[in-house]
Amino acid sequence: MATIVKMPKLGTTMTEGTIVKWLKNEGDPVKKGEIYVEIQTDKVNIEDEAETSGVLRKIIAKEGETVKVGDPIAIIAEADEELPDLENVDNISTQSQEKSPQVFQQEDKTEAVKQTISDKIKASPAAKRVARENQIDLSKVTPSGPNGRIVERDVLSYIQEHKVKATPVAKKIAIERQVDLKAIQKSPGQRITKQDLEDQIIQDVDNAVDNTIPVIGMRKIIADSMTYSKKVAPHIYLSLEVDMSKVIDLRERLIPLVQAQHDVKLSYNHILIKAAATALRLNPLINSSFTEEKIILKQHINIGLAVALEDGLIVPVIKDADKKGLAFIAKETEELIQKAKSKKLLPDEYHGGTFTITNLGMFDIESFCAIINQPEAAILAVGKIIKKPVVIDDEITIKPMMNLTLSCDHRVIDGAVGAKFLQNLKQILEEPINMLL
Amino acid sequence: MAEKLYIEALREGLREEMLRDENVFIIGEDVGLYGGAFGVTKGLFQEFGENRIIDTPISEAAIAGAAVGAALCGMRPVAEIMFFDFFTIAMDQLVNQGAKNRYMFGGKAKVPMVIRGPMGCGTGAAAQHSQSFPAVFAHFPGLKVVMPSTPYDVKGLIKSAIRDNNPVVFVEHKLLYWTKGEVPEGDYTVPIGKADVKRDGKDITIVAGSIMVRRALEAAQKLEEDGIDVEVVDIRSLKPLDLRTVVSSVKKTGRVLIVEDDPISYGWGAEIAAGIAGSEAFDYLDAPIKRLAGLDIPIPYNPNLEKHAVPQVPNIIEAVREVLR
Repeated sequence: MATIVKMPKLGTTMTEGTIVKWLKNEGDPVKKGEIYVEIQTDKVNIEDEAETSGVLRKIIAKEGETVKVGDPIAIIAEADEELPDLENVDNISTQSQEKSPQVFQQEDKTEAVKQTISDKIKASPAAKRVARENQIDLSKVTPSGPNGRIVERDVLSYIQEHKVKATPVAKKIAIERQVDLKAIQKSPGQRITKQDLEDQIIQDVDNAVDNTIPVIGMRKIIADSMTYSKKVAPHIYLSLEVDMSKVIDLRERLIPLVQAQHDVKLSYNHILIKAAATALRLNPLINSSFTEEKIILKQHINIGLAVALEDGLIVPVIKDADKKGLAFIAKETEELIQKAKSKKLLPDEYHGGTFTITNLGMFDIESFCAIINQPEAAILAVGKIIKKPVVIDDEITIKPMMNLTLSCDHRVIDGAVGAKFLQNLKQILEEPINMLL
Repeated sequence: MAEKLYIEALREGLREEMLRDENVFIIGEDVGLYGGAFGVTKGLFQEFGENRIIDTPISEAAIAGAAVGAALCGMRPVAEIMFFDFFTIAMDQLVNQGAKNRYMFGGKAKVPMVIRGPMGCGTGAAAQHSQSFPAVFAHFPGLKVVMPSTPYDVKGLIKSAIRDNNPVVFVEHKLLYWTKGEVPEGDYTVPIGKADVKRDGKDITIVAGSIMVRRALEAAQKLEEDGIDVEVVDIRSLKPLDLRTVVSSVKKTGRVLIVEDDPISYGWGAEIAAGIAGSEAFDYLDAPIKRLAGLDIPIPYNPNLEKHAVPQVPNIIEAVREVLR
């Protein structure tokens, strides 16, 4: 549909505009938003954008012609469309400035107008020099000279008004630490002190990363509980390597059976849960809780498995793992992991753990030290299974080895106690038949 | 230090130079027994005699030609043009001979002469006896042009002009002759080509020459009552032009008004304005450079109209306010 373009109202006081230059000729295609004509108001030259796409079919207001706001200046239409009769414009769509002049002016034109004005700021050479020397944006300075010219005193008073008052010490620190004093908010008349500056420096350091993540929810819980654990529990770390040959063999054989039974793939974690539960039964101190008055030896062996989430981690708990068969553990664990990842775990499903396993083997981590998940007494950090040369009977053979690191709360677990558990666990894993005992 | 009239200081300078150097002589209409139309040479005829104070027929061409010839022959003539309006008749001798000979003879010839006399209006002498056109001379390479505004400067500059080996156009103003100022006894010189800050100020620079320096100073005094601190630069020499003094003053004040006695079109103020605009002072300008000069009209005989033909003190005050607006 043909659009009759009218002289836009480009400022509140604008009553007419002069066509300075048509940037398109008759017959040229025009895209919506494209600058196609330069219009001069009583104040500035403005490059006007097309409000519609089409072909600039007819230029009504020639260059140099002054036209009242709202009078037609051009017609934009399809290339082959019949042009409307100008006498009968009511039936034809017109560019929208009349419909919503305020919106048009404020939203569409503000930037362009500002830009054009700033290019044409009238300022004396002295004012320009002072502005340049003090990095003042002249568009912010109110002119007081003749014909709206910014003169030196205007820039000087702008500088004075925006002058940062600071104590000598603060100024000195600001220079040394390259702190922008203007960035420090202070109520008018008050001087920036050394303290303000130091606060600002800290804030600047804090804000050095572009994005911030609020410490709430899960992140806060992790932060608090990890800090708490490290604070109250003196950690000792015990490491050993386990020959996983037989576990690997066992898993290979069990995978189809578990798959058939529960439609889940048996993983090393499942086997580790079962093995740890078996070892814990032999070492009740590891499955305990320290309080100021007493050490609670937990009746149930509830194994937590750390599950990494996009924005944290959660530890679902496999209850009474020592009493459950591998297939069931596999099924339950996978269900819990799925729930954890979709954040559908019920509180019951991540509370009440007595021992935690955390495995970073899938990230190629060989060994690491974990922080105990309070109020538990120990946590097992599991590394990747790696084929390594090992010496057996004075022969070097290649074995799939896995590192286990036990973090123990020394308030409960002495080194030897922890070591015995870890040794038992190693024995179970190296002879998985022991899990049946 | 004694207060003397401008005319006395000028005469003193001439006399001292004649005493100092026997090659110095004065030539002009009625400069002898009559003592000059304005009395500049009064008493010199009696002291130095007709061989050194030479009366001529009414022929400015002859005066200038004789002076150029004498200068080429090693004398140091001081030629008086009774009214500078009639300098036009002397122009060929001065411009085509005096200004050129040193160059055309590759420096082997020199033309140490002064051609002096009064310009300006304010005496009711009408259009043919009231003109100012010092910029005309400044346009010709080979001429030096000075226009002292005070008794001190006129004595010092006449000495420098006489001692200079080039033709110097020495511009006086009729109304300055009877103005007073301090003049030291004995020999001193004021250098050609050096402007002088006659009044220190910080708000605006007035660049003026000759009679306009006095008017600018008077205006400055009145403006001071309103807290406007005017600096007055006396340009003193139009050629060579001391732009440096002007530029450093404008850098200080950021505003400049140029006040001239001659018609505004193509006047020397335009030269100064262009010099400022093209100098490092540009970045210190806080207002457009303003010129205040004579109207582009023959000077009227009617005394009321005559006053309006060139800037007066109230005009200067108004122009200053306009620049400071």
